[in-house]
Amino acid sequence: MKELSEINLPDDLRYAESHEWAKSAGDTLKIGITDYAQDQLGDIVFVELPDVGDSFEKGEEFGTVESVKAVSELYMPVGGEVVAVNSVLEDSPELVNNSPYSDGWMIEVKPDNPSEMDDLLTGDAYLEKLKG
Amino acid sequence: MNDRCLYVDLGLIEYRQAWNLQTELVDARIKKDVPSDIVLFLEHPPVFTLGRRGGDENLLVSESFLEKSGISVVPVERGGNITYHGPGQLVVYPIMDLQAARVAVVDFVETLEEVMLQTVAFWGITAERNPANRGIWVDDKKIGSIGIALRKGVSFHGLALNVNLDLAPFSWIQPCGLPDVRMTSMKQELSREISMNTVRESVKKNFESVFGIRLVGSSYAGLKDILKSRKNELTIISI
Repeated sequence: MKELSEINLPDDLRYAESHEWAKSAGDTLKIGITDYAQDQLGDIVFVELPDVGDSFEKGEEFGTVESVKAVSELYMPVGGEVVAVNSVLEDSPELVNNSPYSDGWMIEVKPDNPSEMDDLLTGDAYLEKLKG
Repeated sequence: MNDRCLYVDLGLIEYRQAWNLQTELVDARIKKDVPSDIVLFLEHPPVFTLGRRGGDENLLVSESFLEKSGISVVPVERGGNITYHGPGQLVVYPIMDLQAARVAVVDFVETLEEVMLQTVAFWGITAERNPANRGIWVDDKKIGSIGIALRKGVSFHGLALNVNLDLAPFSWIQPCGLPDVRMTSMKQELSREISMNTVRESVKKNFESVFGIRLVGSSYAGLKDILKSRKNELTIISI
């Protein structure tokens, strides 16, 4: 387990209290889970993602990850339509552990309301929440 | 963890009934409508359950055989693959706010394993963890299983310890979805029947010491009252 000071929280991402991140990529957002989340979950053996074209509201469950015989639900940091999913995770779920912010991304979303990004936390604010 | 935790012994309860109860309690815990974590102890009548990833391909018998046996197959959201529950297996469902307690999933699973390890050790059975396949094992045979789910940081489902149960239905499946997993029970390891009551008390005691909490007894009716008062409040709000 990592110490909180060891958790990697890149400045160009925004974070949800439910431990997902979102990153602007032009008109769309990429979404995944944080370094803290992957560390707490342990070795991820399965990632269940939605279909392209599915739409979810902010806070709605969009998929699950399974680690150590535990299935954890994943929640949308912002609402929107899924325009791409990282299907590589089907065969290589460990990428979420090894590379949570790049190769381990999960879905790409066209946000319904891009300003919802502003409600998410900066890396510093997320870290403060983790410290409690 | 909260130092105080509600404990309810549900006795023998149908899988779906217990599942409905768990789902309601998880929702109540997420919304902080119950003031503490809750641990349910129970046994299920015979049932096969499939994990989130399915597992019906690991049923080794035909549907008609299953129908004749009267054992149903229920898909659920917990981790892991196909398994069997039946009378003589002690099932524990902790509904705990891990997020609020800042307990990592990986540590929670190890803690549940520790409760089972200490329990079987009391009867002189040496079991071990296997990091590649969670649960606890006596050599290459599994005696205690883990399968949990997390919703908004609150756990449900839990552990299942094979005490006296009939192991035959495990031979109708590939437990955990793996071809060479064999199951055992405390009865099989000790070559004698052991008291479920005594095992339950032992698990309860170990649960308290390993989690560092105190289990405070309640009842099914008590849980129902908590859930009912919650529904009344919701109704008042909606008016």
